[in-house]
Amino acid sequence: MFNHHHRWRGAALSAAAVLIAGLLAAALGACGSSENTSSAAAGTSVPLKAGESPLGQQLAGKKRGGTLTVYDHGDFEHLDPGEAYFAEDYTVLSATQRPLYSYPPNSATKLEPDVAAGPPVISAGGTTVTVHIKPHIYFSPPVNREVNSGDIAYAIERGANPNVACPYFTPYFGDLVGAEKAAGGPISGIEMPDKYTIVFHLTKPTAALLSGALSLPLSAPVPPEFAKPLDAHHPTTYGSEYVVASGPYMLKSNSKGKFLGIGYQPGKSATLVRNPNWNPHTDFRPAYLDRIDINIGGEPTVIGQQVLKGEDVVQNDNPAQSIVKEAYEHFPQQITFTPGSGTYYASLNNAHGPFTNINLRKAVWAALNRGAIVKVRGGPLVAAPMTHFLYPSVAGYEEAGGPAGPKVDYNEHPEGDMAVAQKYMKLAGYPSGKYTGGKTLQVVGATGEPEEGAAQIVNQTLQNLGFKTHLSILDKSVMYGKYCGVPAQEIDVCPNVGWGRDFADPQTVLYAPFYGPAISPSGNANWSQVNNPQINAAMEKATLVVGEPARAQAWAKIDEELVHQAVVAPEVYASLANIEGRGVAGVDELWNDGNWDYDFTSLK
Amino acid sequence: MLATRTEGGAITRYIIRRVLWGIALLFLVAAVTFVLFYVLPVANPAQLRAGRNPSPRIVADISRELGLDKPLYTQFYDYVKGVALHFNLGYSFYSNASVKSLIFERLPATISLAAGGVVIWLVSGISVGIISAVRRRTWLDRASMSTALVFISAPEYWLGLIALFLFASDIGKLRVFPGAGSYVGLSTDPGKWFTSLILPWLVLAATFAAIYARLLRSSLLDVLGQDYIRTARAKGLSERRVIMRHGVRAAITPIVTVLGLDLGTLLAGALLVEVVFDIPGVGRLNYDAITHSDFPIIQGTVLLAALFIVVANILVDISYAYLDPRVRFK
Amino acid sequence: MTTGAADILVRGPLQPEPARGGAGSGPVGPLDVDAGDIAARSPLQLFWRRFRSDRVAVVSLGFIALLVVVALAAPLIVQIAGVPGPNVQNPNATDAFGSPLGPSAAHPFGVDQLGRDVFARVLYGTRVSLEVGIIGTALATLIGAVFGLLSGFYGGWVDTLLSRATDVALCFPILLLGLGISAACQVRGCAAGAIQPGVSTIIAIIALFNWTYIARIVRGQVLSLREQEFVAAARSLGASNARIVFGEILPNLTAPLIVYASLLIPLNILLEAALSYLGVGVHAPTASWGQMLAQATPIFNTAWWYMTFPGIALLLTVLAFNLLGDGLQDALNPRTVPQPH
Repeated sequence: MFNHHHRWRGAALSAAAVLIAGLLAAALGACGSSENTSSAAAGTSVPLKAGESPLGQQLAGKKRGGTLTVYDHGDFEHLDPGEAYFAEDYTVLSATQRPLYSYPPNSATKLEPDVAAGPPVISAGGTTVTVHIKPHIYFSPPVNREVNSGDIAYAIERGANPNVACPYFTPYFGDLVGAEKAAGGPISGIEMPDKYTIVFHLTKPTAALLSGALSLPLSAPVPPEFAKPLDAHHPTTYGSEYVVASGPYMLKSNSKGKFLGIGYQPGKSATLVRNPNWNPHTDFRPAYLDRIDINIGGEPTVIGQQVLKGEDVVQNDNPAQSIVKEAYEHFPQQITFTPGSGTYYASLNNAHGPFTNINLRKAVWAALNRGAIVKVRGGPLVAAPMTHFLYPSVAGYEEAGGPAGPKVDYNEHPEGDMAVAQKYMKLAGYPSGKYTGGKTLQVVGATGEPEEGAAQIVNQTLQNLGFKTHLSILDKSVMYGKYCGVPAQEIDVCPNVGWGRDFADPQTVLYAPFYGPAISPSGNANWSQVNNPQINAAMEKATLVVGEPARAQAWAKIDEELVHQAVVAPEVYASLANIEGRGVAGVDELWNDGNWDYDFTSLK
Repeated sequence: MLATRTEGGAITRYIIRRVLWGIALLFLVAAVTFVLFYVLPVANPAQLRAGRNPSPRIVADISRELGLDKPLYTQFYDYVKGVALHFNLGYSFYSNASVKSLIFERLPATISLAAGGVVIWLVSGISVGIISAVRRRTWLDRASMSTALVFISAPEYWLGLIALFLFASDIGKLRVFPGAGSYVGLSTDPGKWFTSLILPWLVLAATFAAIYARLLRSSLLDVLGQDYIRTARAKGLSERRVIMRHGVRAAITPIVTVLGLDLGTLLAGALLVEVVFDIPGVGRLNYDAITHSDFPIIQGTVLLAALFIVVANILVDISYAYLDPRVRFK
Repeated sequence: MTTGAADILVRGPLQPEPARGGAGSGPVGPLDVDAGDIAARSPLQLFWRRFRSDRVAVVSLGFIALLVVVALAAPLIVQIAGVPGPNVQNPNATDAFGSPLGPSAAHPFGVDQLGRDVFARVLYGTRVSLEVGIIGTALATLIGAVFGLLSGFYGGWVDTLLSRATDVALCFPILLLGLGISAACQVRGCAAGAIQPGVSTIIAIIALFNWTYIARIVRGQVLSLREQEFVAAARSLGASNARIVFGEILPNLTAPLIVYASLLIPLNILLEAALSYLGVGVHAPTASWGQMLAQATPIFNTAWWYMTFPGIALLLTVLAFNLLGDGLQDALNPRTVPQPH
């Protein structure tokens, strides 16, 4: 999933809503597996204090009831379970929609049955997955009826409808029998033997991957009789005007299920109220709060102050750098950090221009001062230098070298090493150590701090190596949608891209951004346009590997190979900071980047 | 002036001519904007909307849906037809929301900001202008005119930042007024609406008040030099009465004109204040649309801003036609 | 955009025009030479003489000259001051959280988020402001003068066409349109590379939309000038149109053009700053005051220096141009100040 910890540049950009389908999603998943406590701040001048890491957070609520006020300076992108792909959207979806499986808030690895009645049953050979679902789960008004297997089937099938265009349908559900030709109608590989059973048939033995993907919001039930007419619109109005909930909360709606203008004012506010049909006996969520009021927009420093000095308030998105500092120094009990919430890096165009030359890529890798980028991102509490692609807490991270990463000279000095860089410049055919080709590099970054700062550091590094550059700073939506995600634009460097897992499997970290055949003419996520036959073949093989340790090994090897190919210039591993008011007993969703979990959060 | 029957006819003809030309102007503005953003390398909205790894078929479908596969003149014809017949300004490329409803939703905030700003700058601008003119060449005059020039020269977003830094209740040095992002609608909570707008009003009004003070001062000085003022003085009227009844009344005419034109440009002019204070108005809507390359919203807001300018111009021209008959025979 | 001291300039031409060829031409008439003034001086000399006696205006002119020197000699000043260059990043100049540190001996105006020296960046920011202010204004004035001359001198359909074009251009909210154009031209430029991103885009926007005021004023002036006796005299002597325009009319337009151009400069400087503030102006890492203010916004309550110094630089520069414009305007058209009673 796209990394999207953006901070808008002040009020100027605060309500600049992020609106593009599937483009701007954030890193899903986070640190949290207890066997992996590599803290991003370890060994730095700013030690962590007690109560900062949510690994051992208290899940029992303080009290039942009350209204939580949430500040969020960015808007939601999609509230449709079939379209959403953005950590801040997931905070609302995990309160309103129940997929087949879900992660409890303090784990990013252990799935719990949610709508499902028990663990998925995988056939010998790994080509079918059978899931039984719980009875007595009901849709919110106006649908009101019990959820059945047909609702799960429809939810997944509509992901292939071009009007919905689920961003991860192809990578995770594309192996379903009949998925290739699917366009919203029934998929032959989804079978419903009875009301409470659903069977998935696959063309390849990829059942383990599919089972993991059943934790994504696409598997949350959608009532066809309600959603089908809406899905005929282009784009669908399910999730943008009307929606039905299965979780403990629902977007405030009218009697027809319409929430646009009622429970959601784009760019202004959203309101979650209790779903009267929610059945607590079928759910592990305690749902302490009565109501959640979300204010959209606002200057990040102002929001931060309001939260730190307020009572029943939290901030949904990243606090500003100056607020992290202030909270850490003066309100240490009101801030938490979740290490390992994705990577940030500068893509280097492997398919076109000077960076087709591997030695030039290695030179940039060596020269870039990753420590400086850690600083502009707010220091070691919220970032650590990136040394390879599987990040802390993802299976395979330790296997691929842990914090130091694979041992190559250009990876050794995160603070930048011009001597090593010069060596590779010379190997690339530039004896002076400076690039002397005439081309001006197109560098396209994103607005807002810390993105702009990181982009300028990368830009300066390129200039130090002799490249002439033209740096453009654009809104993230345009950066991805028009430039970095469109190979025909031939952008040389995108210094503000990043990735996080979709669920607990290393494949979800490496496949989309580095698999050659996944390059597409628009909406491309393989920003470096890495299309290396050996890597492609290794990924195809690793996809079929079964068992967690074996998968970790297989993907760690691919990780190392990506480092040897120096496919990008790495920047940082991100940690997410969360701030809350004095009156809030907040709970972070470790699986979702460390964002707030409104199902477990309570008021003191 | 009492218009005679024939003069009334001439004025009507003049008004009709001005209105027709105003409509033509709007049409031209729409056309120029359309062509400009068609020629300029804005993002392909179909690609933007299609999301991650879309098939070319999906991109083509969306293109057709948005009418982007049609030739430029057909797209323009459809657009103008929509605007003229239904005041339909199209739909956002991203959220699919109707541009008209987005604008109407944002308009109250901009109008709130503008209305309060106008009151403040008229009252303060006119009073400072009068005092300066009456006390010309005193330290008071020099001080207020120098302050006015400073306000005119300072960018309002910078003034806004300083105002927040000094007075915002959440981050200011002296926590007096609600800061950025505190705006609430008038119907939601009139009290909060009022307090949340105090700083934005003051910042928006600062520049205009300074301009009006300077304008009124110079215009009043001109008037006070006229013969009839001397006559009034000679008749023994009190100085206060001379200035207020005869002087200011005559000197205020250019202010009225300028006010009309300023109101026309305020829709766009309030953008920076809306941005700094995070007020969800039309200016911010335009700004957000630009950062996202959301062409229908850009087109809609530019057209609306042009409409305000044209209407203000027509009103000013018409009021002039009543005041100065020569204009009609232009 | 702030309207600036050019209030009269901006508003004046928008007011209904008097009957074609009629008396009066807006609030600022053609250069009136009062009878008391000495004969045998060219209007320009007269203008200069009056200007010289205005102390504030002369000081402003001096300040602007200083700005020009600063802009040209920025590298030298940075060297003498012993501060790093405007684009030198220094991660050690920020604290452990990445917060920039305030003024010190090494960095008199403090540093920004990247550890760059704010003093050096403020100095270099002068370059962008002056470049946009002066080149943009010169282009707009040139276009406006040509349009106004053609319109006023030829009249007829030329006048109709150009006046209508002016009407259309005046309807555009320049900030909104400028935002859109700059945003669209940001990466690879526009018009097949004729408009490069950054400063030249801003100059192009100014040239495209800010010529209108000049055109209206020049048209009004030409309308009245061409009825003057000396033009009629030249015509009767068989002078060609070109000779009349360049030999008779243009010299009389020089002083007003200087005045109006000087009033446009601060507006254009503010427009660049506003566009840069909104993120579509000059390109990073080029230092621009507006862009620095934008970068200062998210940290303005913790890094007061970053908001303060570029803001003051911008304020003083615009103020100086406004005062200069005022002075020039007074010299062109001295107000008959009533005697105090």
